[in-house]
Amino acid sequence: MGRRLPQIFFALSMLALALIVAAVWQASTPSWKNYQHSFLQLEAQEEPNAVTKAAVLATPPQIHQTLLPGLQRVDRCTTCHLGVDDPTMKNAPEPFRYHAGLGPHIPSKFGCTICHGGQGLATDKDDAHGKVQFWDTPLLSKDYIRASCGRCHKEGDVPGVPELTEGRRLFETQGCRGCHKLNGVGGSIGPDLTEEGASHRSPDWLERHFLAPNVVSAGSAMPNFHFDREQARALTYYMLSLTNEEMGSYYSSVRLIPSPEYGRQLFVAKDCIVCHAIGGTGAKAGPDLLGVTKRHSPEWLDEQLVNPQLVYPGSSMPEYDLETNARKALVAFMSSATAQDAQNILAHRGNALTPADVAIEAGKRDFARFGCAGCHGTELQGGVPNPNAQGGQVPSLLHVSDDYTKDEVIEIIRNGKVPPLDKASGPTPPLYMPSWKHLLSDEDIHQLVDFLWSKQEKAKDAW
Amino acid sequence: MNLIREIWQSIVRRDPLSTDKGKSELVFLNVWLHIHPAKVKKENLRFRYTFYLGFITFFLFMILVTTGIALMCYYRPFPPQAYQDMKDLQFVVFMGPFLRSMHRWAAHAMVVCVFLHMCRVFYSGSYKKPRQFNWVIGVLLLLLTLGLSFTGYLLPWDQLAYWAITVGTNIGSYAPLVGGQVRELLLGGHTVGEAALIRFYVLHVAVLPSLMILLTVVHFWRIRKDGGLSRPTWRLKPSRPEALVTIGAPPETAPLKTVPASKDKTYGLMEVVTGKPIFETITPEEEEDAVFSYPYAFFREAIALMVTVTGIMAISLFFHAPLEALANPAKTPNPAKAPWYFLGLQELVSHSALLGGVVAPALMVLALLAIPYFDRNPSRRPSDRKWAIWLFTIFVVVNLVLIVIGTFFRGPGWAFVPPWVHVVAGAE
Repeated sequence: MGRRLPQIFFALSMLALALIVAAVWQASTPSWKNYQHSFLQLEAQEEPNAVTKAAVLATPPQIHQTLLPGLQRVDRCTTCHLGVDDPTMKNAPEPFRYHAGLGPHIPSKFGCTICHGGQGLATDKDDAHGKVQFWDTPLLSKDYIRASCGRCHKEGDVPGVPELTEGRRLFETQGCRGCHKLNGVGGSIGPDLTEEGASHRSPDWLERHFLAPNVVSAGSAMPNFHFDREQARALTYYMLSLTNEEMGSYYSSVRLIPSPEYGRQLFVAKDCIVCHAIGGTGAKAGPDLLGVTKRHSPEWLDEQLVNPQLVYPGSSMPEYDLETNARKALVAFMSSATAQDAQNILAHRGNALTPADVAIEAGKRDFARFGCAGCHGTELQGGVPNPNAQGGQVPSLLHVSDDYTKDEVIEIIRNGKVPPLDKASGPTPPLYMPSWKHLLSDEDIHQLVDFLWSKQEKAKDAW
Repeated sequence: MNLIREIWQSIVRRDPLSTDKGKSELVFLNVWLHIHPAKVKKENLRFRYTFYLGFITFFLFMILVTTGIALMCYYRPFPPQAYQDMKDLQFVVFMGPFLRSMHRWAAHAMVVCVFLHMCRVFYSGSYKKPRQFNWVIGVLLLLLTLGLSFTGYLLPWDQLAYWAITVGTNIGSYAPLVGGQVRELLLGGHTVGEAALIRFYVLHVAVLPSLMILLTVVHFWRIRKDGGLSRPTWRLKPSRPEALVTIGAPPETAPLKTVPASKDKTYGLMEVVTGKPIFETITPEEEEDAVFSYPYAFFREAIALMVTVTGIMAISLFFHAPLEALANPAKTPNPAKAPWYFLGLQELVSHSALLGGVVAPALMVLALLAIPYFDRNPSRRPSDRKWAIWLFTIFVVVNLVLIVIGTFFRGPGWAFVPPWVHVVAGAE
């Protein structure tokens, strides 16, 4: 018995040896070495004499990486993309071609993946380009790459990327925050969008979704806003730029220097004068801001601008989702602002500021801000389909004063309302009026109703 | 030449292997080999009796220790770095993917082999007297293997790891009274986080392997003390009682009897001291059935080792261990699944938390531990143990079916989805 045991053992040992050799070979021949070899040959072609040629070819293969602590990443892309910062490589074939037109965004300071996406740590083509399972952010296609500018350029216009400005404008005016949180401010009906750009959604999905939410995501409560293609593209750009990454200040846009002038621009853009006066000039809904920086510490003011409820529970001032430097700029402006500044700002505003106007303005702002426009339309026209609700769609608010008193409307906004059914046996309509009493103060609701009444079409007169 | 021979002699200190004395001395003058008997029974060497599952399990454990120590050199057990270290192993460390894959596949294989080894021991009735307590140790080793695999599962800190451990520890928390506290002790908090990772790491690289080695030593030692591997006695020729010989010191009244065996035959010290072989009485026929461990047992063990090592290496060469996206507590995969060996429990939990999370695992472990004391039937012949074999087979099949259902037939929301049906994940 067992005469052939030593032979079997020997054969298996040889097999084990072969497997070890195979594993070593597998580990010693990564694809990046081939790319580096090709690149060295390309470089050697340019060398005039044999000695330097040989020296170039003898360069040992090694992994190149850019350590970017300020961007929380390590990019190894230049292991294969070897000519990216070498102008003589501008006509070289990929992956060795020079990256022209980068301006100050040089690869050694910015890496690659902050703009292009992909997996910076990887050293193999498919993995690096993120076209593998379990990597959520593959390379962005050419059409969308400029969206990445918004990851650092978070405020103001980004030169050459009007889509971002437009996307941001649409987001703030179409009532998106009514349902979606962004940087902690907004509703909770839809998903939080603070890190939407870092999620697994493809740009293509986002764009189709903006054109027809229900088609892409069955059962979605998001109404169809009837965006055109350019608007959908702009919103997609904006979404892709929302990554909420921690970044070193080196990467923050220079526009964000918290100068009093930048603060003034914000003061105008956010229309603070509608509630606040400076030195007696302006509205009286909020406190006068003259000397506010002497009454409160910079920390208190900063917290107030993050979330007024933190320092003054029950405050009717809304949250504004301002960047750190934007808040600093506003404080800087307030420390130097005078009644004269307020006068100038008011002079450039379109309409005067009677107390009634102030309330209507505030109501109009809340209407956009809390997403009422999402269902009832930016012009209060309603019309978003709501199957099996009476009328089959969300009601227009242009004639609300015909059917309800102000108090009844206030009651509906406070407590919400389930739409009456078209057919009692039919399904529950997907859309309903939520209760707003936890989000809106009574003052907010009154202002909203004032705004609604200011918009009523004079139907009765027409009778 | 003489010097070389002298050095060699000073190392091995035994007679040449061509002599019986040399073959015996190879075993008992060698610290690594002396856990073996000098001679083993032929029928115990048969592949179809043991399938060498115990050996294979032990070899897998050795692979795991070796690769595990190498992996420790590249691993930092705190959250974002742990995952980045996985990526470095995958993309930068020389032979990193091979190393990690070997560790991963050997771990899965060990869970399987421990289980199969337990089945073999049950079906051959080897847990019966005098081996009852070694079975209990074996069950503890099974639990330790599951514990090692489970704690190792978290270390890559990817989505797969994070959610498997979240689900796994949730199953544990259904235990009455202590469940919640045990979970909190294990995780160092209420959710899987930094504290959980360092605790799992300490358990995985220090506590559990130490216990494993301790219990393995006891397990092996007791095999010898319980009279070597159990033998398929029901297959042996019935012995003639008059041919029985007693070895060692005789009763006080009788003169010392010896066995007509070769001059170099050695006996364990214990046998001499107690006056009889500890548990088995040797007949002359059985003596003829025994062969020297060298080369018959050792080459077979070496072949089992090489098959294990080459098998794991070959798999690791072609299939790399999975690594999903960075753990994200805010993004729950649907369905979130425990490691595969706990999916039977998860399946039960989906029907009843009390049944699946408490009653079933407790009963299973208690039943396994109680088997050798509960089963009073002295016979090891399969035809005498139909009930035991039926019950155990049902236990094995039910476990396997539940694991297969949990692994392959459960989709989003734990709905029944056969593997051949492709489910498009919802947008949310």
